[in-house]
Amino acid sequence: MPSRRPPLLRACALLLLSLTATFFAGCGNDPNLQPEHEKRADGSPWQVRYSYMPDDPRSLDPQFAYDQMSRRLLEPVVDTLLEYHPFKTDPYEVMPSLLASMPERVKNPDGTETYVCQLKRGILFHNDPCFPNGKGRELTVQDVEYGWKRMVDPKVECPALSSLQDYLVGFGEAYETAKKADALDYSKPLKCFEIVDDQTFKVHLLKPYPQIIYWMAMHFMSPVAHEAVEYYDGKEHPDANGKMVLRPAFKWHPVGTGAFQLVEYEPASRARLVRNPNYHTVVFPSDGYPPDRADFLKQFAGMPVPLVDEIQVTIFREQTPIPVLFNQGYLDSMGVSKDAFNRVVTTAQELTPEYKKRGVALEKDLDVSTFFISLNMEDPVIGTNKKLRQALSCSYDGQSYVDIFWNGVSPVAQQLMPPGIFGYDKNYQNPYGYDLEKAKRLLAEAGYPGGIDSKTGRRLELNMEASANGSEERQMTEFVQKGFEALGIKVNVVENTFAELLRKEDAGKFQILEGTGWGADYPDPENFYMLLNSRNFPPEGKNVSRYKNPEFDKLFDKMATMDNSPERLQIVNHLRDMIGEDCPQIFTFHKAFFTTINPWAQRTSTNMLLEGAFKYQQVDPVMRAKLQREWNRTPKWPPFVLVLLIAGAAGYAIRLNRKRNV
Amino acid sequence: MFSYLIRRLLYAIPILFGVMLITFLLFFVVQPPYARARAILGEKARPAQVQQWLHDHGYDKPTYLNTKPGQHLFDSLFVNQMKRLITFDFGVSDKTSLPIAKTFTDGVIPSLCLTLPAFVIGFIMAVTLSLYQVFIRYSALDRFGVFLCVALMSIPPMIYMFVGQRVLAMQLNYFPAYGFDLRGWQTAKFVLLPVTLMIVMYLGNDVRLYRTIFLEEITQDYVRTALAKGVPQSRVLFVHVLKNGMISLITLVVAHLPFLIMGSLLLENFFGIPGLGNALIHAIQTGDAAMTNALVYLGALFYLAGLMLTDICYAFADPRIRLS
Repeated sequence: MPSRRPPLLRACALLLLSLTATFFAGCGNDPNLQPEHEKRADGSPWQVRYSYMPDDPRSLDPQFAYDQMSRRLLEPVVDTLLEYHPFKTDPYEVMPSLLASMPERVKNPDGTETYVCQLKRGILFHNDPCFPNGKGRELTVQDVEYGWKRMVDPKVECPALSSLQDYLVGFGEAYETAKKADALDYSKPLKCFEIVDDQTFKVHLLKPYPQIIYWMAMHFMSPVAHEAVEYYDGKEHPDANGKMVLRPAFKWHPVGTGAFQLVEYEPASRARLVRNPNYHTVVFPSDGYPPDRADFLKQFAGMPVPLVDEIQVTIFREQTPIPVLFNQGYLDSMGVSKDAFNRVVTTAQELTPEYKKRGVALEKDLDVSTFFISLNMEDPVIGTNKKLRQALSCSYDGQSYVDIFWNGVSPVAQQLMPPGIFGYDKNYQNPYGYDLEKAKRLLAEAGYPGGIDSKTGRRLELNMEASANGSEERQMTEFVQKGFEALGIKVNVVENTFAELLRKEDAGKFQILEGTGWGADYPDPENFYMLLNSRNFPPEGKNVSRYKNPEFDKLFDKMATMDNSPERLQIVNHLRDMIGEDCPQIFTFHKAFFTTINPWAQRTSTNMLLEGAFKYQQVDPVMRAKLQREWNRTPKWPPFVLVLLIAGAAGYAIRLNRKRNV
Repeated sequence: MFSYLIRRLLYAIPILFGVMLITFLLFFVVQPPYARARAILGEKARPAQVQQWLHDHGYDKPTYLNTKPGQHLFDSLFVNQMKRLITFDFGVSDKTSLPIAKTFTDGVIPSLCLTLPAFVIGFIMAVTLSLYQVFIRYSALDRFGVFLCVALMSIPPMIYMFVGQRVLAMQLNYFPAYGFDLRGWQTAKFVLLPVTLMIVMYLGNDVRLYRTIFLEEITQDYVRTALAKGVPQSRVLFVHVLKNGMISLITLVVAHLPFLIMGSLLLENFFGIPGLGNALIHAIQTGDAAMTNALVYLGALFYLAGLMLTDICYAFADPRIRLS
């Protein structure tokens, strides 16, 4: 009987061969999507930047979104009235974006103020199906008003409301009325927003509030097309063929006037932004360049932005692939994580030779933030004993903490305000910075010589609250604990779930709270010192230390409404000294990090208040393509070895079969 | 058989209720929605914003029974959650506010792109290799094969993923190290490496198990008869033994079928495949109770469906078995 090869075996052989063939074909390791186009309309190459973010945005509604990830996607899509200069960071500076010029400030005789704002002409919304014929219409002052009304809509719940209602005329009142009626009447005008003509509007303030210009640089005050909110309602609607199609909610489909249009957003996967062909709102700045890169940057001066046509943003929930894709040239830049630090940066804080050889650049970025340990001023032991707080502050070794846990990159904080903000003095030293001898002396003066309570003879015991967030956070807490215990006191670390920590923070039921901090909403001392204003106790505010000092409050209120001036500087310094002396917080560090940049994507913005500044980014696609080819060569021998192994095993089986069937 | 299935369906009710109860206790009692709202909205959220969020998500109700005057007694968190799950009205994600049903339908295809080929190819490979081992049984190569299987079983899945990514995606540059695209052949490019790794991860275990089943089969009388009649060894193995051995294999394998939809937690997360496994792990990490609840509930449903499917397959594959 002739032997027939069983069909399963044949199928398996075919399958294995086809799998091996796929290896041969070399499917390529480029994880990025095909660009939207190959070439621009003028025939020049379509330019793409490849970026990433570590998480999904929470919302892309300009009046609601507040987190970093949301801002990263909103910034290129939704223009703001004013915007931060991409290079001027010391001090930070805002410049007109949708406004034709900086708002004109008018001081009224009754102490109120008015800002007169004029919109640029000819600004168009993105082309989008929400508009007739899908063509973006011209921006009007009514769109700005509509955006502002959304800020007081209880259904939107704008996070900026609590800060602005003290300053904008009738703002809080409009919110309360809408809340009572359970809906905002959009036909009623806002008292703070007066429309003068199609391009001009006035903003009425109850009292001076120079920080209003920073709010105008945030997307809360951005214009919104009512058509977009009405069209993108998150419900099913019939399309042209009568088929029911689900429209995304407005918060997942922003329609703005920005340099880019969000054409794709896949949660947990990617976002794709493509150049807005209608965009001509701003050009590349021609001043403020950092001296070390002025030669490179001046070639872009006055050029229309965006400089590139497409931005692809990958959402990496796992950090491991980031250095891999950066090294393969599929990401243009990479924040150097702690895990990758030693491979990328030397102890002298320079690039390792391997990265230098590849032409990679290393940039150090300083976030506009400060981290601190909060001491409860209402606690009967800590709150009433200034010397004890000072002793604790002196026992905290900030430099060692930064060296161990932040690779020595982040600077030790000497004060509440981070660099770049009006009133920040780089020469100022915290009077109660690390000094163990002084700490012991202060502790003795506080009534606890050697950590022993002189009244009871018992060792001082304090509780420190920390979040149970894993081994590294535990090590950080233990470091702080050991620092305090070097004074001879006992510190019990209480690990809390997030919920427990919040409960204790809201109720003020703690002695020491580790791991608190603040990132700037805008670069003004008011945004930091309000953290210690007595009107800002949790849960409404963020005065976690529950610091209450009438003199501080009085000076803060005065400083908050002042323009930057020598007098304001004096008050800011006074506030800083008061905090330094009272020690309601132990300042730890200002967050800084390194970023590596591949040679084809030299940096064109240095402002950390901008979230990526995508419209100013540039790329050399020719260099990228060449280096990508060089860095991603695939050896051809492994598939051959694989085929040989399979063939060997099959041959062995066939021989055995023949032998057995003889 | 019909009455048996009805009985099994009824047994499933207390199991599902138990699952729902445990997830409710974990996500609504151990961690109250207020804390979750604060975590999701961020440290700068105002209390009014938190309240609005709780209201929008239906979390501003009493936990078990609503004893507030003028309110319906059963308008509570517990009853509403149970109702939602039973009626498959999962609502929206706590984290992203996107409809969970959409996340589910969006996530099924990427998950299946990974698990289905891995399952089918892995099964065929495991059967082939185990038959091959039975064919060369007790030879040095067979013993080496068994050793290899044990070695493959002993390596933790993370090592496969890490080494696989490092060698095949980073050193040899054959595959993308991360990402996914559901556009034609692009999908194959992204799933090839995770599929290969998934096959290798389970191959050792499966080959060893199937080898044992087939070895038991070749001691049967019908094998001896076939060999005595001069049927070639390979045909006996790949036709006769395979057909009879498949009864045991199918019942083992069918239980996994419904689970393919749920994807792979580790692989999807590691390679950035936006499937249901990735959605579940992210929901757990971010404390997205609505999403976790829905996915765990669906997982339990699929598990029960898998068990029932196994029973039915038994009855179909082996006429001697009667379900009653």
